[in-house]
Amino acid sequence: MIYEVSHRTTFSYTSQVSISQHMMHLAPRNSRCQTVLQHGFLIEPAPTVNVPGIDYFGNETTYLTVEEPHDKLNIVSSFRVQVDAFVPPPATSTMAWEEVLVQAGNQSDPAALDALQYIFQSPFSRSLDAGAYAEPSFPSGRPVLEGAVDLMARIFNDFKYEGGVTDISTPIDQVLKERRGVCQDFAHLQIACLRALGLPARYVSGYLRTHPPEGEEKRIGADASHAWLAIWVPGHDWIDLDPTNNMIPGNEHITVAWGRDYSDVSPINGMILGGGEQKIKVAVDVRPVDDQGTAD
Amino acid sequence: MPLTAGYSTVDGVFDEMMDANTGIRSHWNNFLGELGRFSSPALRRFWETAERLVQENGTTYNVYDETGNSARPWRMDPIPFLVDAAEWQHIESGLIQRARLLNAIVSDIYGERKLLSGGLLPAPLVLGSPNFLRPLHGIQPPGGVHLNFMAFDIARAADKRWWVLSDRTQAPSGAGYALENRIVLARTLPDIFRDAQVHRLAGFFQALSDNLIAQTGKEEPLIVLLTPGPHNETFFEHAYLARYLGFPLVEGADLTVRDSKVYLKTLNGLKLVDLIFRRVDGDFCDPLELRTDSVLGVAGLVAAVRARNVIVANSLGSGVVESQALMSFFPGLCKELMGEDLQLPSLATWWCGQESERKFVTENLSRLIVRPNFEKNSILNNNVDSFDGATASDSLRNETINRLNRRGYDYYGQEMLKLSTAPVWMDGALQPRPMVLRVYVCADGDGYRVMPGGLTRITDGLDSRAVSMQQGDASKDTWVLSDHPVSTYSRLAMADQTLALRRSGSDLPSRVADNLFWLGRYAERSENSVRLLRSMILRLAGEAGSGDDPQTLTHLTNVLVDFGYMRRQSARKAVAGGIRAVEREVASLFEHDSPNGLLVLLNNLQRTASLVRERLSADSWRILNGLQRRVIGRAKEVNLNTDDALALLNFILENLAAFSGMQMENMTRSLGWRLLDCGRRIERSRHLAKLIHELAVDGDPAAEGGLDLMLELGDSSMTYRTRYLSSVQLPAVIDLLLVDESNPRSVAFQLAELEEHMMTFPHDRESATLPRERHLIASLRSMVKLMDVHKICSQTNRRGKRVELAHLLERLESQINEISEVLGRKYFSHVLPTRSSSFVGLMP
Repeated sequence: MIYEVSHRTTFSYTSQVSISQHMMHLAPRNSRCQTVLQHGFLIEPAPTVNVPGIDYFGNETTYLTVEEPHDKLNIVSSFRVQVDAFVPPPATSTMAWEEVLVQAGNQSDPAALDALQYIFQSPFSRSLDAGAYAEPSFPSGRPVLEGAVDLMARIFNDFKYEGGVTDISTPIDQVLKERRGVCQDFAHLQIACLRALGLPARYVSGYLRTHPPEGEEKRIGADASHAWLAIWVPGHDWIDLDPTNNMIPGNEHITVAWGRDYSDVSPINGMILGGGEQKIKVAVDVRPVDDQGTAD
Repeated sequence: MPLTAGYSTVDGVFDEMMDANTGIRSHWNNFLGELGRFSSPALRRFWETAERLVQENGTTYNVYDETGNSARPWRMDPIPFLVDAAEWQHIESGLIQRARLLNAIVSDIYGERKLLSGGLLPAPLVLGSPNFLRPLHGIQPPGGVHLNFMAFDIARAADKRWWVLSDRTQAPSGAGYALENRIVLARTLPDIFRDAQVHRLAGFFQALSDNLIAQTGKEEPLIVLLTPGPHNETFFEHAYLARYLGFPLVEGADLTVRDSKVYLKTLNGLKLVDLIFRRVDGDFCDPLELRTDSVLGVAGLVAAVRARNVIVANSLGSGVVESQALMSFFPGLCKELMGEDLQLPSLATWWCGQESERKFVTENLSRLIVRPNFEKNSILNNNVDSFDGATASDSLRNETINRLNRRGYDYYGQEMLKLSTAPVWMDGALQPRPMVLRVYVCADGDGYRVMPGGLTRITDGLDSRAVSMQQGDASKDTWVLSDHPVSTYSRLAMADQTLALRRSGSDLPSRVADNLFWLGRYAERSENSVRLLRSMILRLAGEAGSGDDPQTLTHLTNVLVDFGYMRRQSARKAVAGGIRAVEREVASLFEHDSPNGLLVLLNNLQRTASLVRERLSADSWRILNGLQRRVIGRAKEVNLNTDDALALLNFILENLAAFSGMQMENMTRSLGWRLLDCGRRIERSRHLAKLIHELAVDGDPAAEGGLDLMLELGDSSMTYRTRYLSSVQLPAVIDLLLVDESNPRSVAFQLAELEEHMMTFPHDRESATLPRERHLIASLRSMVKLMDVHKICSQTNRRGKRVELAHLLERLESQINEISEVLGRKYFSHVLPTRSSSFVGLMP
């Protein structure tokens, strides 16, 4: 499946900003099932500094500054990617969850060494209670993917999707107590659960193809960013899990970046001088296109 | 009786001064002999001198507590810790090796990572560390020097060997305190110090500074010392070191990143910064790429480092090797990286990520301490950060074993060391107390150099295993003895090189400019307040000529209340109640709760001064410090009578005069001084305008004693009498206090000085129009100059109010206020960066 995605962010300030700096994780990355065909930015006003980079996790970054007075900043990221369907292995065929940690300890294996960093607490994965919540899904010797999928289903069933009750700073233990939140809360929660058991889990940011209600046109810009997670399953690399939708992502999830948690891959992280009050408007549009490049 | 009589060592513990069998160790003989020549009263005088010096220098260590009363005087024990030459050589060589080793490890972690892939360094201790800063991965500093300055805590065990307890590779503290201890002790025992062949410390700091300069590759680089600010526990030291090394002391908000370069915001505009010597933890240094909740850092700093436009020392992320869990791997790493055996052993440590080590720790729990690898990152329970086997309960023991079995790789076990003891002066005699020595190392060319001395820390109790400043312990100077005469090089007098002559010091950060300006204002405001209070008490006590005149008192209280120096209620009571009430209310002069009460003012003065401490001379600081101590001490006394209060006010006035004299006579006429003086002039003009308004606009000031009061408060009585003898008339007083530019106490004089200062302020020379503040001051000056004194004093409205005078004074006051605001906006405003995050809409 080929997608065209555009992600427009508009910052408006009530007074002039003399200088703004942004670190962005907006460019999509290649992965096992995803190939980036084309990507570009449109930034107004023209940036003073615009430096692309690759971060520690292999994500593409852009460091951006605007050093002339401005009261508006417009950042549009547009790209075209091909996403192939992922067929997960039978969950029962994966190794016992206790074995995963042993595998991750093999420092001479680059994949294991990379995975190991994801068993530790990171800024947005702090929790005291996640371990206890996770335990019922992981009886001794259970195949790791089976346990992880079971945990994902429990989160999906136990928690209510509710926007506006949490924000990015809401602690996981509060989400766990109140049983509601949005996608990045559920992703962080499952990550904390897995890590408490010593299982490598990472945060994935991206987009999800949405289907308009029957008989309605899809509105442009009505889509949004999405977040889910991936777990390291030796022999099968990383397998994505989306607790918000209780599914193993196939070809409808578009990956932008991954890291230990939100703080590593925040789409736009900025510091400004001046500016007074600020308003942010975001419009995301995810459009499937056919091989000829016309709308599906 | 010898000093060491009654000194008894502790069984099973090594004592630094005395061998239980053979007596005093030989390298202590000279020192003890010299000290023993003094009588007990003489020694007591020495120690009092030392204590006084510490207080006068204002050496403090901020400790956070609930009361918010945080600055605590530094505690120094007057007996130095002595180390002989041979032993020091052993320590020195061991620490230089360790410094090289740690630098090589950091370099590998952020570079090739062969230690990780080769399994020599356990990945959890690096990848799980909050000090492993991923955005810095792949960035190598110039010359591969990550660690420019570090510290090691070492201690001696019963076996006489030195052990390393911890490695400080991020931004180690204490070197400034070590230096301060040395300066105080060398002044307390000058003769003994001179004869003892003690290695000097100055050469080390010179090497540190030379090395930082060399790293920039520039002749005259701009190097700044980045501090978290005055609330940090070791801020005293930051200011102290900044001044000693000659680097501007800056906070994150003083720096800005433009075009991936770091600049210091100064009154003269932006100055390119070449190197940041940091005392801020790495993860707090850049809110853009590191901890996004940090308010101490500089947004874009990592990008500037990546672009190689600035050097940060120590490199960001260098704290990654601080975890004590790593120490057991150092012998192997030393072999691998340098082909050498590790010279100085580390405290026995078992990382529980390994099967056999975990087993050992669980089996020997009762004699070990168990800690999480990273103090601020314990995953299981954030409240319990360490487990002490000797004191733990059974349930805690079981809980700990449980944790070790589940996530052993998050913990390490450590042996407890029986620290050696050193002699401490307590209750008039020498007594043994446990000690830890912190030694400093700096990069020096291709290698490292050790400070010949250090910070010896001691505990009050005999049985203390952890020695930390936070826990209220004291410190000592450390004397490294030499077999030969030592170099008496002093950092401030460099003989071997010719300095380029310069007229102004380093650039003035806007924040410092702001604080200097307010320092001037508070100093002047305190002085005005004291003069008013003194006049009031004199009159209330009936000792001044016009004491009987109720009108004068009313005026006086009006001014006091108007300025906020006194609460209206207290003022009224004092006036109405006669001498008894006066005595009762005198205490309230020092009350905390009036907005500009004397105590509040003096506190503000002290606080502002402490913010620019590195800009003030030691003498100025001593004056303020003494003032503060005495006033707070006296104000607490309950029975402060009128005479006491007068004496105290006079004391304050004398000290404020001394402080201002220091500024006038001892400060170079830099921009900083000019701003300080501007603050003073602005405050004095405002005060005079208000005073004249209160005393001269209404009624008949001559008859009501107002004229005398004006002259008294304007400190111009003498001048007036020499000019006009005893005839006191309003126009003559107004002329002297308002118009006469030759009277340093007049408004006109303040305005003239202000204008002169403003002429030197940096501004756009191309611009055809005058800057706003220059415009304001020029118009004020001409207004005052052109006024017709006789006319303005005689023109009254129907109720006898001198309207023109009132109008002029009001305009004066409001324009002076505007000048203050303009200066603030233009030169000091450091707009704080704010966050802008785009986290938004998520999937339904």
